[in-house]
Amino acid sequence: MGSEQQFEQMVRAFSADLYRFAYWLCRDRFVAEDLLQETFARAWKAWRELREPASVKAWLIAILRNEHFRRFSRKQLSIVDGEPDESEIPSVPSSAGHLEMEQLVGLLPLAYREPLLLQALGGFSCGEIASLLGTTEGAVMTRLTRARQELRSELQAAGKRKSA
Amino acid sequence: MMNCLEFRRLKLADPRRLPEDARSHANDCLACLAFARSVDESEAALERTLAVAVPEGLADRILLRQGGERRVSRRAFALAATVLLAAAAGGIITRRDKDSSQQARLAIEHVLDEPESLTTYYNADPVRLAEIVRDLGGNIREPIGRVRYIKRCPVEQGSGWHIVFETPQGLATLILVADRSIAAAATANLGRWTGRVEPIRGGYYALVTDSAESNSAVSRLVKQRIEWQT
Repeated sequence: MGSEQQFEQMVRAFSADLYRFAYWLCRDRFVAEDLLQETFARAWKAWRELREPASVKAWLIAILRNEHFRRFSRKQLSIVDGEPDESEIPSVPSSAGHLEMEQLVGLLPLAYREPLLLQALGGFSCGEIASLLGTTEGAVMTRLTRARQELRSELQAAGKRKSA
Repeated sequence: MMNCLEFRRLKLADPRRLPEDARSHANDCLACLAFARSVDESEAALERTLAVAVPEGLADRILLRQGGERRVSRRAFALAATVLLAAAAGGIITRRDKDSSQQARLAIEHVLDEPESLTTYYNADPVRLAEIVRDLGGNIREPIGRVRYIKRCPVEQGSGWHIVFETPQGLATLILVADRSIAAAATANLGRWTGRVEPIRGGYYALVTDSAESNSAVSRLVKQRIEWQT
């Protein structure tokens, strides 16, 4: 199979998942599509350098993250590649209690949101996420636990208010 | 032996990949079983939320654009080969002039192919423009005008940044192309449109406006306000 055919297969296989990941990173449909175009443009340029076809999805995610980081690093200082001090990661604002899941996910600090997206959308394990984010598996588990705790507590509070 | 606290930590960290001893614990502990079911419910809600609709034709658009760039690269190579043959007969100066003016004309065609760039606001971020210019070895000394549109586009010989901004002479389009060189500055006209290309160290840029007069004025403005390494 030619490399162009393989590239087309890759685009068709992963564009939906990557689009959703990009959307939840930037919360803008136009920017998400732009990020995807740029991701695949860079992927095509580096196509011959891809050594492990089995990990192509993680490779694409890494390209997309880099592009997102490059574009928004000045605006979103909460983006972190390394391991942040957990005490420095802000909680979901307490006023978010009335919000629905979509808004709650958007309000999660990126340090929590990103591993959550990689797991729930990308199907990556904690170890794989740790490799992608350049941190430890333990740190990823902590962030995922806290992300889900934040979401659950807000949703439960909202449920109680509705039933009261 | 797993305890309830450890089980809950593992369940929240990765609800779908519980190790065997954690699954065994849930089978023996009604409270943790209920907790696991509750987590599974919220996880299902999360996954429904994250599965936002993907724009129709997304993969086709990506392939069209990337495929366009690949085909354009081949066409560009064919064009270069043709021009080289002409140069052998007509001299290298002719080849260089044709090459640059061809890029100026293609820049106009590109603007005409994307009329929405002149009517919509998209990624209109001056900070982003400064980053793009910096990537090409430039420095914006003063704003060139209000930025309305920034998009990465396929252009002849690869891809470039398509930028539309407001000037006293009307809207102007700046197309920045990295890693491709032109031999010299050149101007081309197509209908009322004028395109001018200028070589820069990291590639070249094209400036497209709707008249020759406005192109001269905006070209001066760009040269005054953006410092390029040449």
